[in-house]
Amino acid sequence: MQETLNRIRGLAIKELLQLSRDKLLLLFVLLAPLLELLLMGNLSGGGVRNLPLAVVDLDHSRASRELITRLGQTDELLVGMYSDNVSQAREQMQSGAISAIVVVPPGYEEALTAPQQSAEVQVIADGSNHLVSTAAIGTVENVAAEIAQEIAPGAGPVDMRFTARFNATLAGQPGAITMMLGLIVYQVTLVIASQSFTREREMGTLEQLRVTPLGRLELMAGKAIPTLLVGMVDCLLMTGVAVAWFHIPVRGSLPLLMLFTIPFVLTQVGWGTLISLISRTQQQAMLFVFALAMLEVACSGFLVPASSLPEVMRWLSYISSVKHYMVILRGVLLRGAGLGVLWRPGLSLGGIALGVAALAWLRLWLGLDPDSLKQRLRAWRQTSRRERSRRPVVRRQKRRLVAEPVYVDVRTEE
Amino acid sequence: MLYTWAVMSIRRFISVLVKEYRHILREPRTLWMVFLSPALVLVALSTIFASGGGRLNLALWDGDRTPLSRQFAATLSGDDDFSVGYVSDYDEIETLLVAQGVDAALIIPPGFAETVGAGGAAPVQVVLDGVDTLVAGQATGSLLGHAADFGLALNRQFSLPPLPIKIRSQSAYLPGDAERESMIPGLIPVVFSLPVMAAALALARERESGSLESLIATPVRGLEYIGGKLVAYVSAALVGLLPVWLVATLLFHVPFRGNPLLLLLLTADFLLASVGMALFIGNMVRSQQTATIAALFIFFVPGFFLTGMMDPIDTTDLLGSAISYILPATHFVTICRAIFLKGATLAEMCRPAVALLILSAVWVGLGAITFKKRVR
Repeated sequence: MQETLNRIRGLAIKELLQLSRDKLLLLFVLLAPLLELLLMGNLSGGGVRNLPLAVVDLDHSRASRELITRLGQTDELLVGMYSDNVSQAREQMQSGAISAIVVVPPGYEEALTAPQQSAEVQVIADGSNHLVSTAAIGTVENVAAEIAQEIAPGAGPVDMRFTARFNATLAGQPGAITMMLGLIVYQVTLVIASQSFTREREMGTLEQLRVTPLGRLELMAGKAIPTLLVGMVDCLLMTGVAVAWFHIPVRGSLPLLMLFTIPFVLTQVGWGTLISLISRTQQQAMLFVFALAMLEVACSGFLVPASSLPEVMRWLSYISSVKHYMVILRGVLLRGAGLGVLWRPGLSLGGIALGVAALAWLRLWLGLDPDSLKQRLRAWRQTSRRERSRRPVVRRQKRRLVAEPVYVDVRTEE
Repeated sequence: MLYTWAVMSIRRFISVLVKEYRHILREPRTLWMVFLSPALVLVALSTIFASGGGRLNLALWDGDRTPLSRQFAATLSGDDDFSVGYVSDYDEIETLLVAQGVDAALIIPPGFAETVGAGGAAPVQVVLDGVDTLVAGQATGSLLGHAADFGLALNRQFSLPPLPIKIRSQSAYLPGDAERESMIPGLIPVVFSLPVMAAALALARERESGSLESLIATPVRGLEYIGGKLVAYVSAALVGLLPVWLVATLLFHVPFRGNPLLLLLLTADFLLASVGMALFIGNMVRSQQTATIAALFIFFVPGFFLTGMMDPIDTTDLLGSAISYILPATHFVTICRAIFLKGATLAEMCRPAVALLILSAVWVGLGAITFKKRVR
């Protein structure tokens, strides 16, 4: 036991030394996450904002100008062009300079004020981005509803009053920042883990590793420790930045978050080890990493809310560690969740980590070569074929090999 | 003199090119990943944009318990927008929200039926989970719609006057619910970052494995070397455009209204800029590991969130749009959407195309300048 620990410590120290020797790498591992978090936190998460809008006002009345001013005052729209004909605006939309066109027909004011008539406003939105067209049309509809409410106040039977928990102003930033935090920890740990064996192979040090007395589990543990350290440090540092710079609250307990970060990072270590064992060059490993990362991001509910994923993807998302980690991250930081509600995603994370580690262990058991699975299969097929064709010969040989030892009766010589 | 120099230079460039091709071709795994990975990843990413949102989880607390309040609750659970779970007190709602069990909670207070019966507007409280604003927005819109429908369904005695304003909305180029068709052209730049990043590692590998030392002994110059790598990876990635195009048009039925040759030309333009950027990264770092992390930081997260693939770029935010426009993928998102869905011509695409040309000149130039034949 003591020797095992010693061996693991030796390997972990070697890995850490290797990590700290490359100053640029260290910079990218420790500083780049903070920079990216700052950048993305400031830039993304705002949703659709300031879409360039073209206005074709054919009414030229006080009411139409009022409508246009109100449209421009919304967060989503920004009046970028006034025009007198629609085709001119359509040309601008074709080149992408304009995202939506609002056409106010002649006689708008008249129809608006007449009690038994309704004024029509036409919206043409750029459907080549679904988010743009939905946001533009929705915003114009909201403004129209506001104006209608002012002209003919009448409420429906149900008066809905909305309050938002955890994020009263419905700002995009807390959600975006927790998401980035998880993603960045994910990508850094996956990359570090995925290059481990591939790097040794390319540098030729894999041969040396082979002749060391390290067992499979010791090898995995020794390689996992530095990645785990990096993941935890990055997570802590970025949480610090999120709290200090973006005023993200920590409503739950930070040690709990750190505890659940361990299985999350270990899952990435497992995937990374698998990738580094099946790819021959680091280039291949990187391509595998990128493909895996895109898949995980796709089914973890970043791009599309998890509820609207197609069936296959929803099932896949249950084995995506990112999805469970996001629940924990947002739970601890924003929702103030404790172990009482987080045990379920925590347990899932643990299960995923164990499963992936088992896969990596199995792959390691097959051998350190990227082709060892193929080689084993070929060897198995050949032996079995040989056995099939020349069964008696092999049997005889075997029998001779396992032949009973010739006993020499010592007593007779006496 | 100049002529022989140019011939020699081109010859050196070609030998670097041939060497790079050999690197890509000799390893079947690399070959498949460079050619086919964009198409495969595109299939995976595209399947998630299934048109039509899924159900939101709604917790409902009916404090009124009258036939009318039940009727209102039934309109919510009756269709595909919500899956409704009934709760019996406020604490339960709080627990569900904290555990992320529901996306929103609706509270019908006592006296609901009385107020509605008297012709007034009965207050109903909605508690949203504010963490995911996308989901919160979806829930708000859907609930407001249901409330309006309920009002119509009640069939009040007085006749409703017509609405003062009617909005006739029209979604150009694609129908408004064609979420997947509008997203796929935007995803093409992201999936092409795979072969692009492979180029960054190709350069870093030379330095790490020590083959740069033997290269130093050859007469090859910075621009010839970078140029050879650039052309090799750009042309290899361009081959991958065909499976990507087939996946988009045949598998997911995205309309293709533009000119295929224009798409090819502008993809080459984009690849020049982004491979140039990747080569610059590969040139600056010392190990492939660093190159991978750097490439991921620059291409992965920003590729999804800063290029205008999802949320369009806010042009009023100067710093933000400046960073977006430095990324080649931003321009290519515009180009792909315009060529696929709008059938744009070269004249209409000249702004992003020129921007990409400038970017590629800058990055390749920087790469050639910083490329030093020295052992660090």
